[in-house]
Amino acid sequence: MSPDGRPAYGQYGVRQLADAVAGGRSTAVSAVEDALSRIEAADGRIRAFLEVTPEAALAEARAVDARVAAGERPPLAGVPVAMKDNMWVAGRKTGCASRILEGFRPPGDSTVAARLRAAGAVFVGRANMDEFAMGSSTENSAYQVTRNPWDLERVAGGSSGGSAAAVAARFVPAGFGSDTGGSIRQPAACCGVVGFKPTYGRVSRYGLVAFASSLDQIGPMARSVGDAARLYRVIAGVDPRDSTTADVPVGDPEGAVGRGVRGLRVGFLREAEEEGLEAEVSASLDDARRIFRDAGAEVVSVSVPRTSVSISIYYVVASAEASSNLARFDGVRYGPRKSDADLASLYVETRTAGFGPEVKRRILLGTFALASGYYEAYYGAAMRARQLLRDDFDRAFGQADVIVCPSIPSPAFRAGEKTDDPLTMYLSDVFTVPASLAGLPAISVPSGLTAGRLPLGVQILGPRFGEEAVFAAARAFEEGAGFPDDVPPAAAG
Amino acid sequence: MASPPSVVTPEVVRRIAELARLRVPESELPRWTEQLSRIVGHIDLLKQIPEEAFGSAGSEPATPLRPDVPEPGRGDEALRENAPRELHGFGAVPRVVGSA
Repeated sequence: MSPDGRPAYGQYGVRQLADAVAGGRSTAVSAVEDALSRIEAADGRIRAFLEVTPEAALAEARAVDARVAAGERPPLAGVPVAMKDNMWVAGRKTGCASRILEGFRPPGDSTVAARLRAAGAVFVGRANMDEFAMGSSTENSAYQVTRNPWDLERVAGGSSGGSAAAVAARFVPAGFGSDTGGSIRQPAACCGVVGFKPTYGRVSRYGLVAFASSLDQIGPMARSVGDAARLYRVIAGVDPRDSTTADVPVGDPEGAVGRGVRGLRVGFLREAEEEGLEAEVSASLDDARRIFRDAGAEVVSVSVPRTSVSISIYYVVASAEASSNLARFDGVRYGPRKSDADLASLYVETRTAGFGPEVKRRILLGTFALASGYYEAYYGAAMRARQLLRDDFDRAFGQADVIVCPSIPSPAFRAGEKTDDPLTMYLSDVFTVPASLAGLPAISVPSGLTAGRLPLGVQILGPRFGEEAVFAAARAFEEGAGFPDDVPPAAAG
Repeated sequence: MASPPSVVTPEVVRRIAELARLRVPESELPRWTEQLSRIVGHIDLLKQIPEEAFGSAGSEPATPLRPDVPEPGRGDEALRENAPRELHGFGAVPRVVGSA
């Protein structure tokens, strides 16, 4: 409780809040009002949201309270959530932080939004992102740069930087992002929150605007591993609207959180340690090794040799798929049309005006990799190397139940620091891309603050559909790491 | 030893921009060429993987299909609402066949 006797919603996690609302000790309306007032007070500085939708959110909150009054106990009752601007939510706009989708209204809920709605969650707004999820800093948004709640001079990471910052700033207890090469885990690590990318095929992509279809996966961000497990449980599972979802039982991720790691084989990724890590990142791994040992795990070292070429594979595969997926944005069916002179100029002028520089760069790169004369040397080679990387992981998971490496090679960088150097920006995904290419579940857990009080994260990877082991290990690490529960300075001030 | 010349030349950038339906002004061509060359130079690390490392390409499982049962569509109204130009209830584009 706060000094004035009101519940301190900002400190509530997902489970605490949902259980209070479902148990009649609080209401969805008061939780949403609190979230809206926090956003009003501090989002002018942080800029996590592209749009806040108070009226729709309060109407949804009243509907949740009515369901609870009628005896329902939904698992996310009254939980305000931030949705990345690339997921359809009925009645709201979906814009991918791009001019080319300005004003677009989706025909209904994405599967994830429908499942969250059924579970009692309330959508408070559209979270900022790198345009079409292409970026590692949220600086590629066509509208605004999201700032890191720990230091307003620094980026929030990306591409799901708005969702990560909204959770870190205590605007909402839950955010959702999409992860193609690290876009949930990297901003989560930069902002000091938990970010989880499920196994490829666990969560439906229906209603997620496609970037790279063989890699995209939706996942939760929250302030604790247990909260992330509950959010994941709600959205996971087979969906007839996405043929790549797998009919594999989701199991009991929340139960796994308390299972401990006694006897679990925790493999530290050798190639990450050979990267020449920054001292504080290296120290966070040493701490992780000690934490897992103290918790009763068997700590080993594992090798995934093709980690060294994963950025090369990723920027071919993801860009090739993006160039194909983004061909649909041509000014014919949606978004502002820039020319009606003839069909060719309609396409070219609309796309040239509608896409930002990074999106154009990826489209050009992908078109190059798929073009006649280059296809075999680039796309073909990348696909074959991707298979080698998967084989490497299969061998490594013969020796370890989970694999540990850093989430980010350094803490959040200063805004503007890398915008003129795309290759350096791409290399900041070095630790997150391998799990994406192999379709593995991976979580980033805050590991501590640097001397400059910036968050770092440790990443835990599991075998395909091995989410339970990932959550068990993540909770053991979280408990040992004891990340401070301080409100970040920019959100507090 | 000097690095080999990049495969990404201004001519290549012009060609792929055309394929991608994007306009790259001549004044921006040197910058795009330089950036894409650097990125492709990094991607060329893939060439260091020895040929013998590659086994036969793994075959992907067939895409499962959902039951072919008709369901009401949900898109008609949204299509109309989102169309940049609408005429008689249809999305309109410039004339494609014949002259105006």
